[in-house]
Amino acid sequence: MIPFTYAVKEIRRRKYRTAVNIAGFIIAISTLITLVMAARGWETCTKVPLNSIGTDIILFYTAPVKPAGTGCYIVNHLFSYPFNQTLLTEIEDVPDVECAVPILMHRLRAMVFTGIDPSETETNAVLPSSIIEGRYLTAHDGYVALVDNEYAQLNNLTLGSTVTYAADFEVVGIVEVSATNIMKSHIYVNLPIVQEVLPEKPVGLVNMGLIRTSSPGKVEKTATALEDEWPNSSTLTGSDLAETAFGVIQINEDTAWSISIALAVITILFTIKSQLSTVAERTKEIGILKAIGWSNSNVVNQIAIESVIQGIIGGLLGCALGYIFASYVLSTIGGEIGGALNFITIDPIILSIGFGISMVSGIVAGLFSSWRAARLVPVDALRTI
Amino acid sequence: MPTRNIIEVSNLSKTYRKGSAGEVKAVDEVCLEVPEGQFLTILGPSGSGKTTLLNLIGGLDKPSGGKVILDGLELSKLSEGELVRVRREKVGFVFQAFNLIPTFSALENVEVALAPTDMSKNERFERSIELLESVGLGQRAHHLPVELSAGEQQRVAIVRAFANKPRILLLDEPTGNLDTKTGREILRICHEANKEQGQTVVAVTHAGYVRGYTNRLLFMRDGKLFSQIPQEEFEEPV
Ligand SMILES: Nc1ncnc2c1ncn2[C@@H]1O[C@H](COP(=O)(O)OP(=O)(O)OP(=O)(O)O)[C@@H](O)[C@H]1O
Ligand SMILES: [Mg+2]
Repeated sequence: MIPFTYAVKEIRRRKYRTAVNIAGFIIAISTLITLVMAARGWETCTKVPLNSIGTDIILFYTAPVKPAGTGCYIVNHLFSYPFNQTLLTEIEDVPDVECAVPILMHRLRAMVFTGIDPSETETNAVLPSSIIEGRYLTAHDGYVALVDNEYAQLNNLTLGSTVTYAADFEVVGIVEVSATNIMKSHIYVNLPIVQEVLPEKPVGLVNMGLIRTSSPGKVEKTATALEDEWPNSSTLTGSDLAETAFGVIQINEDTAWSISIALAVITILFTIKSQLSTVAERTKEIGILKAIGWSNSNVVNQIAIESVIQGIIGGLLGCALGYIFASYVLSTIGGEIGGALNFITIDPIILSIGFGISMVSGIVAGLFSSWRAARLVPVDALRTI
Repeated sequence: MPTRNIIEVSNLSKTYRKGSAGEVKAVDEVCLEVPEGQFLTILGPSGSGKTTLLNLIGGLDKPSGGKVILDGLELSKLSEGELVRVRREKVGFVFQAFNLIPTFSALENVEVALAPTDMSKNERFERSIELLESVGLGQRAHHLPVELSAGEQQRVAIVRAFANKPRILLLDEPTGNLDTKTGREILRICHEANKEQGQTVVAVTHAGYVRGYTNRLLFMRDGKLFSQIPQEEFEEPV
């Protein structure tokens, strides 16, 4: 315990050196945390909008110009052409396609009105799990609707109220849908009813297919296959969303880890070097300590403890800064997807790994440099100026 | 009453290789016996091997040949751990350059010598303060070495050497960086320890006034010890 006292004293007195060492740890650890958490947050936030509604690919037909009429068919802010619902049955025969769920999404000014097939409960614009009040739709439902909770509150809608979009509907369920869900609408109604009431009278038509593939690895291949098979169609996948949101800044978690580990190694070397020069500066002191009866292990302990303390401080500050940076990165470049910040989670595992690397670097740097120092014969250490 | 020899040095040598110039025998086959309680002074020109000899006696350096027996322990036969105990408990070193740790206060510089012992924090503090007070530095305990005069720094170094109550004091030109008055004071403190506690002192010094304290003088030249002292060796008349 005795060397601990002196280690703390040395750290406090050698502020500059300590600051340099700690800064090294902070840079490495905060970079690690920033990269890994941002990469992870980025991955999640591009996957969630699709995954949360159980789909991998959104298929639609793009319209070059806004169609005539007061409203329009939309796909996530894009205008789109309606297409024949039977196409989706054909799509279900494509290899690796598990299901293709029909959606008819229509917008009138700021309002989004969506027709769904309520028999699809795993992949859909709104899932039964989103119900917070009332019930989900059934295939037999007529002029009844699910409304979004925020919209309901703004308009004082409760179960049994009437909501109007091309026709009047009775509210039978209130749904809570996250802003990151790209299918978020104000009103959801049974698909055949929507096809009936819209002024365009799109009977038998939909404007979107939500497609689920057999495995995540098949998504891109299937999307390309679909576009090839139906040349007028267009697909939207998680990585397309990511590109829209992040442009070229794309790094996945594996890359983030590689960069971070490389940085951590550099930090360890940097710290060892820095500690070694500390030891060189202090060789004479080590000689004095040995001359007055300090053992090698006393000397080693003192220097090792110093490094470990620096590693701990650096690790803690690095974790904190990394978290702040990661949040900042995602909030600036992730704004596009909306609420990207929500995907930054304080992952205790990443934080502990970051902290652990910092500690281990401290120990390695400390032991290595102090071992060098302790080998000196006292008189040789003393002779240095 | 026969006094035993607390230091026995036989055929002690230390050779340094000096590039193409060959070897330098800094200490050359030296034999020396120091009875307990003696105040021995060694004189000699620069480069004659005085520092090397003191370092070998104190276990700070390893000889090329011969042996050193300190208080019955033959240094070359000790393990590193035992050697550490010898440096800590048997000998106290005082250097010409003070060798205080610049980032530590006077008090901490003394405490640091007690750190590897099993004394409690309080005991270490009290012993250190007591030691500093014994040389009139009670008020300066919390000053850093740079804030102390040369004489004060050397007094801190002396009480640091006293801290673990060693039986042997090794002084390497302790007055070399001090004026006559302060130098005299330093030697007086060592002399007092020698007189009152019977500590054995081996001092390397050119200060003429050491004659008032010492009871044996040896002369070193080219790594060898002689008992004849050339008069001009002293810097100033007695
Ligand atoms: N580490 C070393 N490497 C090579 N030669 C050394 C080393 N240390 C001492 N010497 C040589 O050994 C000889 C004795 O040196 P030492 O320091 O013991 O002399 P000294 O009597 O203490 O001199 P001074 O009065 O100047 O302090 C000198 O020739 C010196 O150059
Ligand atoms: Mg010398």
